Amino acid sequence: MADFIFIALAFLAISGAIAMIVYANPMYSALGVLITMLSVAGMFALLNATFLFLVQIIVYAGAIMTLILFILMFLNIKEEDLPKEPNKYKLIAIGAIIMIPLNILILKAVSKLPEKDLNISNTDFGQIKPVGLELYNNWIIAFELISILLLIALIGSVVLAKKRKSKLNNKGEQL
Amino acid sequence: MISLTSYAFVSMMLFSIGVIGVIARRNIFVIYMSIEMMLNGINLFLVTFARYHFNMDPQIITIMVISIAAAEAAIFLSVIILLYRSRKSLDTDIFTTLTQGEKS
Repeated sequence: MADFIFIALAFLAISGAIAMIVYANPMYSALGVLITMLSVAGMFALLNATFLFLVQIIVYAGAIMTLILFILMFLNIKEEDLPKEPNKYKLIAIGAIIMIPLNILILKAVSKLPEKDLNISNTDFGQIKPVGLELYNNWIIAFELISILLLIALIGSVVLAKKRKSKLNNKGEQL
Repeated sequence: MISLTSYAFVSMMLFSIGVIGVIARRNIFVIYMSIEMMLNGINLFLVTFARYHFNMDPQIITIMVISIAAAEAAIFLSVIILLYRSRKSLDTDIFTTLTQGEKS
């Protein structure tokens, strides 16, 4: 049963990623990325990471992709405003040729590792309580630094999006 | 039974497609989504090895990566709004004010 779920999730994840780089309209690309994120969340559930399954759906699919879709609709991009990409498929082929040796290296290295059972276990591994205990006991400094980083990002985005009174461009005239 | 290599294959495919998207596309939104795709591939790799070694530390690192991605999203999207307001374009070849060459 888990095998079929894994194959379906892998197919959806990779096809969503391919849809992202093939479509010219960024709206379709964002929907492809959304499918990929939800499939990766399903794989987290198969890997016994219950809390990360929730976090992936809430933060990635719920917050970040919704923000991207909101900004895309807010900017109201027309078809003729999109950048022209005449040699997109040539560049995709060049990138694939660059990335294939790295993939072969990593897959060979991983396939040499001893096999272990990766099925869903009945212990409380990856549930909220053990993850929270681990986070607040051994990773407390990183946790505090992350909270400061989020505060700085909040202040920074407010400062960046604020309307400036007058602005000069690089030729010295007012915009 | 699902092996370790199949999870590694999916996560490396996601990472490679992210790199290819950064190389091949010129739309700045698609470049941002490719960066998110690379982070997702690495997250899947980390969670796979957390299950493999039955150790919780990679899951904590994944939580850190997700929160940094959230902070990055806020900054990146506000910068995109500013660039689109001043240049009226999403093409990365137009955003060349920091280069040393001739002005576009």
